[in-house]
Amino acid sequence: MSKNKIMPVKEKKINFEKKVMSKVTSGNITIRPKWYFIIGSIFSITSLIGLSIGSIFLINIILFLLRKNRMMGQWRLEVMINIFPWWIPILAIFGIVLGIWMLKKYDFSYKKNFFLIIISFVVSIIIAGFIIDNLGLNEIWSRRNVMRRFYQQIENQRGVFPNKSGKGNMHNGFGNGYRPF
Amino acid sequence: MSHIPKLSDEKIVELVREKDKELYVQIIKRYQDKLMRYANYLTNDENIAADIVQESFIKVYMNLNGFNTKKKFSSWIYRIVHNETMNFFNKQKKHILISENIDFDSGIDIEDDFLKNELASHAHDCLEQMAIIYREPLSLYYLEEKSYDEISDILRIPIGTVGTRINRAKIIMKKICQKIK
Repeated sequence: MSKNKIMPVKEKKINFEKKVMSKVTSGNITIRPKWYFIIGSIFSITSLIGLSIGSIFLINIILFLLRKNRMMGQWRLEVMINIFPWWIPILAIFGIVLGIWMLKKYDFSYKKNFFLIIISFVVSIIIAGFIIDNLGLNEIWSRRNVMRRFYQQIENQRGVFPNKSGKGNMHNGFGNGYRPF
Repeated sequence: MSHIPKLSDEKIVELVREKDKELYVQIIKRYQDKLMRYANYLTNDENIAADIVQESFIKVYMNLNGFNTKKKFSSWIYRIVHNETMNFFNKQKKHILISENIDFDSGIDIEDDFLKNELASHAHDCLEQMAIIYREPLSLYYLEEKSYDEISDILRIPIGTVGTRINRAKIIMKKICQKIK
């Protein structure tokens, strides 16, 4: 379809030159310095990386807890719902959603298939979490001073989880072969 | 100074940033009518459109260092007007929210002549009644003579969606114009 110049509406002529330039020359408005934009970009990239790392860590913790307790297919759903530390997956989902929102701010988000970008982002986070869990990093971290407390807290929450071997101890989980770190 | 009018927008932006802020008047001269027309199509109100354009020129000036001169300046400045308009609508809660999911490719190609004639004769009346998600790409394509690629950059939507919306807008335009007649 060819295009032609059409001006069907006559706009009132407004002199923006005077109005805007008076603010420019008087110094009422100034050009923001370059560092303002550089800091903005750095903050944006750092936040995205931070959110991704945080989400990977939380996904890894979820997989770790599931693996440790052999939850999958072993327990009643009701027990799992009552005892599982739900703040971890909620925080992980929040991190992923925030990451997707930040990805949307980048230029490539509308030039490429954004749905595919979202799927890739989510899948990468889950795979990274899975790899970290399988590398045994949780076991190493849980022995380190800095992380030990965190793992102990999760384990204490989990302490009421029954282990596979703890048949008959469904309500407290202690004395069922469970060994804290 | 005589060579200034021949310079590209991007080159002028560089000069404003580095040498002479008063050259910004060249940008205003080049864009005030175009932006006023564009804002007027979006808001259907000259006074509001004037406020939006003025505010946009101020924002453009303040954020000149955030503009990448390797990209097209016109798309950037139209994007800022678009954002200002959307902010205005959000504040006023005037706009009708229409789900983007209702985009579809009709496959129907409305005749060029019909649309051209309609736009030329009662463009404003017809456009006024159209939802903004269709009004905007249609006015950018036919009235501002922007390419699909530029519209994609201005609205930050994929090129395919630009095409879909313009096609859909043509059908709506035809229906609305026939009703008006």
